[in-house]
Amino acid sequence: MVDQLPNLGREKEMLEAMGLSSMDDLFSDIPEAVRMNGELPLRGPQSEEEIIADARRILGANVALGDRVNFLGAGLNRNYVPASVFQLITRGEFLTSYTPYQPEVSQGMLQAMWEFQTLISELLCLEVANLSVYDGSTAAAEAITCAVRVHNRKATQKDTIYISELIPPARISVIENYTQGGGVIVKTLRHNSDGTLNLESLSEAAGSCGIYVEQPNPLGVLDGGLTRVKEIIGESTAFIVGVSPVSLGLIEAPGNYGADIVVGEGQALGSPITYGGPLYGIFACTKAYLRQMPGRIVGRSIDVDGKEAFCLTLSTREQHIRRHRATSNICTNETLIALMGAMHMSLLGPEGLQKLAQRNMAACQLAKKKLSEIPTIAIPHAMNCHFNEFVVELPGSASDCIAYLDTQGLIGGYDLSNWYPQRRNWLLVSFSDQTKETEIELLTAHLAVWSASVSPGVSA
Amino acid sequence: MSHLFEHKGAGGKGYSQPESIMPTDNLQIPSSLIRKDLPKWPRLSEPEMVRHYTWLSTRNFGIDTGFYPLGSCTMKHNPRVNEVIAQLPGIADLHPLQPEHQIQGTLAIFHEMQEMLGICAGMDAVTLQPVAGAQGEFTAIRCFQEYFRKRGELQRTKVIVPDSAHGTNPASASMAGFEIIEIPSQEDGRIDLNALRAVVGDDTAAMMITNPSTLGVFEPEIAEAAEIVHAAGGQMYYDGANFNAILGLTSPGIMGFDAVHYNLHKTFSQPHGGGGPGSGPIGVKSHLAEFLPGPVVKRRPVLSGDRLTSVNKEWWYHWQEPENSIGKVQQWHGNSGAVIRSWAFYRRYGRDLKTMSQHAVLNANYLRYKIMQEAEAKGVGHLFCDGAPIDVVKHEFTLSFAPMKEEMGIGAMDIAKGLLDRGYMAPTVYFPLIVPECMMFEPTETESKDVLDEFAIKFVEVLQEDPDVLHAAPITTKVRRVDEVYAARNLVLSYPFDEE
Repeated sequence: MVDQLPNLGREKEMLEAMGLSSMDDLFSDIPEAVRMNGELPLRGPQSEEEIIADARRILGANVALGDRVNFLGAGLNRNYVPASVFQLITRGEFLTSYTPYQPEVSQGMLQAMWEFQTLISELLCLEVANLSVYDGSTAAAEAITCAVRVHNRKATQKDTIYISELIPPARISVIENYTQGGGVIVKTLRHNSDGTLNLESLSEAAGSCGIYVEQPNPLGVLDGGLTRVKEIIGESTAFIVGVSPVSLGLIEAPGNYGADIVVGEGQALGSPITYGGPLYGIFACTKAYLRQMPGRIVGRSIDVDGKEAFCLTLSTREQHIRRHRATSNICTNETLIALMGAMHMSLLGPEGLQKLAQRNMAACQLAKKKLSEIPTIAIPHAMNCHFNEFVVELPGSASDCIAYLDTQGLIGGYDLSNWYPQRRNWLLVSFSDQTKETEIELLTAHLAVWSASVSPGVSA
Repeated sequence: MSHLFEHKGAGGKGYSQPESIMPTDNLQIPSSLIRKDLPKWPRLSEPEMVRHYTWLSTRNFGIDTGFYPLGSCTMKHNPRVNEVIAQLPGIADLHPLQPEHQIQGTLAIFHEMQEMLGICAGMDAVTLQPVAGAQGEFTAIRCFQEYFRKRGELQRTKVIVPDSAHGTNPASASMAGFEIIEIPSQEDGRIDLNALRAVVGDDTAAMMITNPSTLGVFEPEIAEAAEIVHAAGGQMYYDGANFNAILGLTSPGIMGFDAVHYNLHKTFSQPHGGGGPGSGPIGVKSHLAEFLPGPVVKRRPVLSGDRLTSVNKEWWYHWQEPENSIGKVQQWHGNSGAVIRSWAFYRRYGRDLKTMSQHAVLNANYLRYKIMQEAEAKGVGHLFCDGAPIDVVKHEFTLSFAPMKEEMGIGAMDIAKGLLDRGYMAPTVYFPLIVPECMMFEPTETESKDVLDEFAIKFVEVLQEDPDVLHAAPITTKVRRVDEVYAARNLVLSYPFDEE
């Protein structure tokens, strides 16, 4: 029998108090024709001990990233999250609370989210941030619809948005699902062979509602050319940048080179990858976009005694007030994961963030140096600076290479033909603060062996 | 210390990090991209950081703190073993792009959840990808849209929602590009079939409705409503926010719905976390399965050559893209962590999910009865009335305090604040919009009779309170009544460093 119901065995007493004789009386309003009769065709209940034993057995069949030497990232990175974050997040006052609609008893979460907004604003150098959307992909999609709402009236290219051709198909698919209802036309921006944005292609975007590019881009390239984007597209076209937040310990904040909206996947700050969810989407913008922003925002206020207090604000943008005219349908968001992010950011401090960025970047740079010594492979964008990941061009297919590395105990990276079908030989390899020098050496050795084995006329 | 940003210790003192694996003095960052000023983040040591967030937590109210009868939100107890399971390396330390042979455990659990959710709702196919209820709604509406496009029925541009619907319903349909037709409810809060008949036609794409409704009322004519919409060629959408009332007792499938979303953070106890994360899978009837966002988990008998694991005695689990998928609504595979917690919750109940729903409804009816009885005994029964005058409610119920507002100038919000002073979270106020001075109560199945008895007494005490005291409430909370207008007029959305 289940052990979570305090009134088991007291049903009769409660029913009799109400003048009812059976549980069925409580469901007398459900017409016979739509009743489900008999038991649910499901298994019986389990005890906590049985559930955890099953969970360990079933999830034990998975290969955790930590069980292997891992170079798979593709936008999600396995940074170290301090133990205190996991300890604090289990506090029931945070974990089991709802959206803070009663501010007098929700000051803790409200203040924590106001602080989160501040941490993000400071990180991105933008005036306002919300307290999270679902993930990096929906953040990008929401940014695009926000830009259309702000700029469409004056745009010469109505309903039109330009996005980098490098954006992975899954992210594009999310963007298309979010924008198709509004009739948004999504066009693409071309890239140069060195992986940087083609600035001539960019000039076509002037007069549109906005452009969306990423820094670093999906190939890990840090593109200095993005600092010139705003002057090319002009004031009436939104400059939307997707960022890796950790990189901003070293890399200029997009708010300082003209970005109007900055979004990103927050996960690397505060959260494990958790098979891709829950994550948290970062969303920040200049004040000009504030009234068209999606999601919840906390403001500082006062109580009746004039004492500092916090509450949700600008709610008239939101679905529970504005209904079909809301800026987004988002209600439930990722507050608790954003709180983990705030805790991690608090512990890092400015210099800690810088060091974390250095460690991530150093791992990438060391790997680039080692892998470039393998004569049978190429690094097509080697002349650029990379963060977290870069592309390796192999002498054979990336899928074969990954299968080989798997037999050697390595999760070897990502086969980029999944994103760009013509790039069968492109392997995206990722490195983080968790990457060790010995692991890079192991990857180098195995790649050298495999590459030689598939390269005619080369002996290992 | 009350502000995070007032901690200004030495640089890098929060937690020590290992040295970089190579020197970082020449990282070759293009000069135009070098960050000049670091963010003005605080500098805290671990003891200071732990104390700050612990202090914040003491200023927050959760289910663990006390009774949380927030209607429409299903604030039930969150079993703690679920948290332990979600942090196992086999879930936390997993990447969504790992090959199938490395994730058979997760796929097995996803498959079990898809099957279970389908059975509970009477649906043929389920995706776990949407990460919140609103996203589930949007996803299902997108599936309807592609279904009509495939059939060439491009004229179906309207979505019907009752005026009692959650705000996400019209917002989600509008985001997908549909026009919203709102229809009024009857006096007693039930769906008005004549109003529905008047608006359906060959431009109807769908009707979105929750049953039981936001008034806690089961719509007895739901099958007729479905017939009207289907006869016009439209689809029926079930908002699963109130699913906790009906598991094992009826199902959206039996009622005639074509698609449904589940709120795993309501019905299946994923903790609400102050506003998220949630999880909003959807289930659909077979004619919509080809449009689901992809991929979904399938299984086939194990073949020779499969790499066997502890879960692969019979079945091999794999991802499969639905034939005419709408694509992605989240980049990866949804909020896997929430799905796993909900799996652990499901395993706790199994087929007794029916008992869970019975107890949710028992508690709602009992609390309603006790409040009425206590109010009559104390002579304040005339200060409020039923939001919907019916014999039995489902998992929640509404009361209107319009009479009290009229007589004493005390509204639902004042009563809510009086409850905060007595150590309770307030019920939902001012929703649904169709009930004046509304309070919406949902006790859930995890509250004891003793808690409900005590709450009824304290609730009536609030009604008997001096109006001046209620206007001034709350007085025992960490801050007193917060000025929301001030916040909106004097926007301070981040720490004002320049005020220092």
